[in-house]
Amino acid sequence: MAADEPAAGTPPEPPRDEAPPVGRSWGRLYAVVVAWLVVTVALLTFLTWAYR
Amino acid sequence: VSAVDWTVLAGTLALIVAYGLWRARAVRTAEDYLRGGGLKWYTVGLSIMATQASAVTFLSLPGQAYEDGLGFLQFYFGLPVAMVLLCASIVPVYYRLRITTAYEYLETRFDRKTRQLTAFLFLVGRGLGAGLSIYAPAIILSTVLGWPLQVTNLVIGVLVIGYTVSGGTRAVSQTQVPQMAVMLGGLALAFVFVLRALPGHVGVGDAFAIAGSLDRMQAVDFSLRLDTRYTFWSGMAGGLFVALAYFGTDQSQVQRYLGGESLAATRLGLLLNGLVKIPMQLFVLLVGLMVLVFYQFHQPPVFFHRAELERARRTEQGPALAHAEARFGAAFRDKQAQIDRLLAARRAGDPGAAAAARAGVRAAEAEGRAARAEAKRVIQQARPRAETKDSDYIFIGFVTRHFPVGLVGLLVAVIFIAAMSATAAALSALGSTTVVDFYRTWRPDRSDAHYLGAGRLFTVGWGVLAMLFAAFAALLDNLIQAVNILGSIFYGPMLGVFLVAFFFRRVRGTAVFVALLVAQALVVLTFALTAIGFLWYNVIGCAAVVGLALLLQAIRPAASSLTRPGAAA
Repeated sequence: MAADEPAAGTPPEPPRDEAPPVGRSWGRLYAVVVAWLVVTVALLTFLTWAYR
Repeated sequence: VSAVDWTVLAGTLALIVAYGLWRARAVRTAEDYLRGGGLKWYTVGLSIMATQASAVTFLSLPGQAYEDGLGFLQFYFGLPVAMVLLCASIVPVYYRLRITTAYEYLETRFDRKTRQLTAFLFLVGRGLGAGLSIYAPAIILSTVLGWPLQVTNLVIGVLVIGYTVSGGTRAVSQTQVPQMAVMLGGLALAFVFVLRALPGHVGVGDAFAIAGSLDRMQAVDFSLRLDTRYTFWSGMAGGLFVALAYFGTDQSQVQRYLGGESLAATRLGLLLNGLVKIPMQLFVLLVGLMVLVFYQFHQPPVFFHRAELERARRTEQGPALAHAEARFGAAFRDKQAQIDRLLAARRAGDPGAAAAARAGVRAAEAEGRAARAEAKRVIQQARPRAETKDSDYIFIGFVTRHFPVGLVGLLVAVIFIAAMSATAAALSALGSTTVVDFYRTWRPDRSDAHYLGAGRLFTVGWGVLAMLFAAFAALLDNLIQAVNILGSIFYGPMLGVFLVAFFFRRVRGTAVFVALLVAQALVVLTFALTAIGFLWYNVIGCAAVVGLALLLQAIRPAASSLTRPGAAA
C-alpha cells in the first residue's frame, strides 16, 4: 500500500469508513434526480408532439 | 483560419496546460498521484462530465442531430438512474474499503487472479480507447486546419502527457474544471451565434417548426420497435446498462469520483452529472439542429468532407459528381420554396396550408437525401478507400466557414480541450491501474517515492503507446468501428464480474474467474462466427459471466470456495 502520511501542504484525508446506509436526506436527493428525469422526458415528449 | 484565431487557439491551450502544470506542483506522494483526493463536489461533477465529453462529442453530436434529429438523446435517459443506483450501492463500498482502483475491490471480494484479469481487460480496452481519443479528432482537425495528421497527433499527445504525467489523478481532475468551463462557454457562444446567423424573419419557434417539418424534432419515441436503435425503452434499459458499466467499472471514471473530499462530495458530484447530462447533450444536439436550419437558407455542399469532394471532382467521375450536385441544388431550391410557404402559413395561422407545406418540405428533403446518396456513391467510385461518412465534418466545417474571427479559434480550442480532457483521464487511470493492480503486487514494500516514480513512468508509457497507436491508426481501414467492437467485447464481461460481486454474495473467486474466461471466449467467438450486432456483445458477455458464475458455484461450491477458506456457500 502507498504511504498514508499526507505530505506537508496537502489537505488532511477525510475519514473513509463513513459509508452509511442510504439516509432520508440522500433518499430525497435521489428522488429529486429521478423527478428531474421525469420532468425532462415530459418536456421532450411535449416538444416532439408540438413540432411533429 | 486567421491569425487572430491561431492566437486564440494557442492562448487557450497554453493557459489550460499552464493551469494543469501549476496544479501538478502540489503532488508529493504516490497516494496524491495515483488516487488523488480532497476534491470539492463540483470539481468531482465537472471532472466526471469532462471525462465523458470527448472531442467526438463536439464533432459528431451536432452532425448526428443534423442527419437524424434529437432521437440520440434517449441513449442518455438511463444515466440519471445509473447515478442514483451507483450512489446508493457501489460508491459507499468503494469508500469504505478505501480503494484506489475499482479492481482492488475484486480482490477483497474474490481473489487476486479475478482482480488482475479484470484490470487487464480494462487496460486493453481503455489503452486502445486512449489512442482513438487522440486519433479521431486529429484526423478531422488535420483535414480542416490543413495540418499533417502526425503533427495534430503530436500536439494533442504532448500537451496531455505534460500535465498528466507530472500531476497525476488530482491535477487531471482539477484541470478538467477550467476545461469544462471553456467547453460550455464555447458551446453557449456557438448556440447564440448560430441563432443570430439565421435570417431575420426566422425566430426560435420557426426554426423548431422547420426542423420538425424535416422530421428532426422527435426527441422521444415510445414505440416498442426493436429495429429502431434509439427509443425511450432502449435508452432506459440499454442506456442504464452502459452507464452502470462505464461509471461503475471503468477506472477513468471511478478515479474521478473517488477523488472527492468525502463520500458526500462524491455522491453530489455524481448526482450533478445525473442532473446536467441530458440538458447538456440536448444543447449540443440543438446546436446541430440550428446548423441544419441555417442550411435551409444557405445551400450546403452536397458532401461535407470537402477535401474528399474536391479530390473526386478531379477524377473522371467529375461529370457524375456535377450531376449529383445539380440534382441536390434543385432539391434545395424546391425545399426553400416549401419552407417559405410553411413560414407564411404559420404566420397566417392556417393549419391546412402548413400541413401541405410540410408535406412539400418532406418530399424535397427526400430528393435531397437521394442526391447526397448519389454523390457518396460517385465519391466511392472515384476512390474506393474514400471515407463516405461526412457527418463529423458538418459542424466543424460550419464553424470554420461561417463563424466570426476569434470564435473559430475558440471552437477549435474546445475540440482540442475535449480531446485532452478525455485522454488525460484515460492515461491517468491506465497509469494508476498498472501500478496499483500489477506493479505494486509484484514489488511490494518499496518506498512511496518509488511508487510515485513508477506511476509517472507507466503514465508516460501509456501516453507514448496511445500516440503510437494514433500514428499508425491511419494504416487500418475501419479503425473506429474495430475499436468500438473491441470495447464492446470487454465491457460486458467486466460489468458481469462486478454484478456478481455485488448481488450474488454466495459466488466465490474461482467460479467468477472461470466464468469470466469462458464468457470472454464466448464473446470473441460471437464476434468471429456470427453477424450479431456488436452492441449486443455487452449484454451477451455480462449475462454469460453472471449465469456461468452462478452455475459453477452451484455445481462445485466446495472447490470454488477453496479460495476463501471457511466461506463455503
